[in-house]
Amino acid sequence: MTTAPTAPGPSAADPFDLHDVAWTPVSPRLAAARLLVLGLWAVVLLAPTSVLAAVLGIAWLWAVPGVLAALLLWGALLVRRQVGALRYAERDDDLLIRRGIMFRELVVVPYGRMQYVDVSSGPLARRFDIATVQLHTAAPGTDATIPGLPPAEAARLRDRLASRGESRLAGL
Amino acid sequence: MSTSLHPVPEAAGEEGYDWRRLHPVTPALRGWKVVAAFLAVIGFQMSDTLRQVADALGPGRAWLVVLGLVVVVAVVGFAYSALAWRVMRYAVTDEAVHLRTGLLFRQQRQARLDRLQAVDVVQPLLARLLGLAQLNLEVAGGSGSAVQLAFLRESEATALRAQILALAAGLGPQAAATAVPAPAGPSAAGAPPQGAVAGAAGVAPAAAPVYEAAPERQVYELPMGRLVHSIVRSVPPWFVVVALVGGVAVGIATHDLGGLFVGVPALLGVGGYVWNRVNTGATFRAAASPDGIRLRHGLTETRTQTVPPGRVQAVRLTQGPLWRGPDWWKVEINVAGYGTEATNESVLHPVASRAEAAVALWLVLPDLGVDDPLATLDAALRGRDDDGGFTPAPARARWVDPLSRRRHGVLVTRTALIMRSGRWWRTVVVVPHERTQSLGLEQGPVQRRLRVATFVAHSTPGPISPRVEHLDEHVAAALLEQQARRAREARAGAGPELWMRTAGADLGGGGQVAGAEPPRVVDPGVSTRPRTVAPSRPSSPSGWWRSPPCSSPSSRSAPPRSCGSPASTPHAPRRGSPRWGRATARWSRRPGTCSGRVVGTCACDATAGGSRSP
Repeated sequence: MTTAPTAPGPSAADPFDLHDVAWTPVSPRLAAARLLVLGLWAVVLLAPTSVLAAVLGIAWLWAVPGVLAALLLWGALLVRRQVGALRYAERDDDLLIRRGIMFRELVVVPYGRMQYVDVSSGPLARRFDIATVQLHTAAPGTDATIPGLPPAEAARLRDRLASRGESRLAGL
Repeated sequence: MSTSLHPVPEAAGEEGYDWRRLHPVTPALRGWKVVAAFLAVIGFQMSDTLRQVADALGPGRAWLVVLGLVVVVAVVGFAYSALAWRVMRYAVTDEAVHLRTGLLFRQQRQARLDRLQAVDVVQPLLARLLGLAQLNLEVAGGSGSAVQLAFLRESEATALRAQILALAAGLGPQAAATAVPAPAGPSAAGAPPQGAVAGAAGVAPAAAPVYEAAPERQVYELPMGRLVHSIVRSVPPWFVVVALVGGVAVGIATHDLGGLFVGVPALLGVGGYVWNRVNTGATFRAAASPDGIRLRHGLTETRTQTVPPGRVQAVRLTQGPLWRGPDWWKVEINVAGYGTEATNESVLHPVASRAEAAVALWLVLPDLGVDDPLATLDAALRGRDDDGGFTPAPARARWVDPLSRRRHGVLVTRTALIMRSGRWWRTVVVVPHERTQSLGLEQGPVQRRLRVATFVAHSTPGPISPRVEHLDEHVAAALLEQQARRAREARAGAGPELWMRTAGADLGGGGQVAGAEPPRVVDPGVSTRPRTVAPSRPSSPSGWWRSPPCSSPSSRSAPPRSCGSPASTPHAPRRGSPRWGRATARWSRRPGTCSGRVVGTCACDATAGGSRSP
């Protein structure tokens, strides 16, 4: 007996929007944090190349900082949308995470498959008052990372995941 | 717990465990490794320095110095190995295997038996000559083996394996209390007095109960001729032949054969490849037993692997273009304990014929969850588009994958997800529903324009990473949702980690016991089981892959009963195949132990790792 996966029909516009799923966005402060990182990169990359071009006085050398600046600007414009696209949803039996605009990804992690949960927060993240929750299963391919959660939400999610994982515990 | 270099006194170990030592020859075998490593290092790394030293010292004394150095290293190596051996202890309890190691930095490791993923008995050449063996216990996570007991006497290693498997299967002392009454039969002559098993610390080892190894039945073996033929039919040797011919041609044309020496490293590489293939593939045999799949292979270093039921996370069948003629398939498995480095251990069959590939798959998944598993397998192995009910990639996916688009496909059965891909390098991946870890959906910009997406099933570390490329995006999303639900349901119905625990008399995943053999004929009258049934259980006596083994092609035309008819005569020893006729004759049926496992076939008559007194 086999079952063919059937599409719900053309009505569902976006396949990544699973029906009956209430997505929770991450904190917009994540965008601010990432913009700051981009800004640091801009300083690190643009300053020396610009100085080099100015000192040597070669006109075409200005292309390097120019291209870099364009890329960084593009990245800066993208960050906000990327953070906006980063969403998660807790269902009864699994956690959903989706990310990406151009390269989109959707991950379904059953609670019973969770081996452990990490909550981490670097110095920059702490400054912006955000934390990262990462779920680990026995599969290394599972990329279930939710960055940019407010610490309280991260702690709540961690406890919730841990308790749900325990109640649905399964072997490998 | 003692300090310093003194070993833990016998029978006074922690919590009264029965601490045991490894074989006293161990330091000698390990010490040689130190010497060999030292010689290799000075041979390859310091030859220049050595020559200078030798020149300085003069011809006679140089050798003395080298010899003295080797002796010193050997003494240090052997002394260290001996001390390490003195402190190294292991103990087997009902729940775990404990290992104490470490001369300066003490380490005590505990590998839980209910998390056991595989048990291997390895015999390197030297150890084999001395009748010693190494026992590797694999548990998920970490690198390398969780517990490596090297070296034990061969008989000791196999007995320990039987004990560990019996305990891990839930046939420990506690289980014995509720165990079914022993049947009258030769195997049960001394029924299970396991009450006094491992808990009895301080008792002389001789008094310890002997756990009988689970019976097993060989289901296939790889003929040497086919192995050699398969290597000839693989790409690397031909690569070298072409390179050599080209090199000679160029050499003749330019009257200079010196360029040929460039090919020496390549030749060595291919030689290593060929040797590895021969060494690991030689005498490859697989057997089904109540304790799971048992694989034996190796020429110089022999390895006997036991993968308990339900521990195989995914199966992959691959076929290169040169293997298409004889229709050979390489069958690999993902087992959590083996990880990604253990490529030799992850092979279920190095070169399987079509029929053997079906057997190999059946070993892992006794119930493929379809009415006609062979037809489904055939469609998976060489079908395209929607052959066999597969959901293929849509035609518009040709823009991203023009060549193998028609091979991409997925089929969901009651028990497993079957993924098909590869036009020249054909690949089929099977993931049992209850082994699904997490699922994913991926879509790049081009895929998005074409409204296709890639479905990914995450599996434990190993050679296989299951995915289906370029499905229709809505189909992929629906598959993701349905598969998440299916995996959940399958897990709920999956068997216990202790695979012989007969709690509900329903042992999922236990089907590996070889109920019958793969399949030539499937009874059309048999209806499929309802969805509520736990998957991966052998689907009833009239299940699908039920026809008798007789895996040799010649006997395939024999009448089905020749190898014993399922469900009809459970007590009668099988007669068809002499290979396992002898083995099964010794075990009579133990109703309780076997009940959910093999369902009505003689093969389940095994006492399955049960223990009995000597």
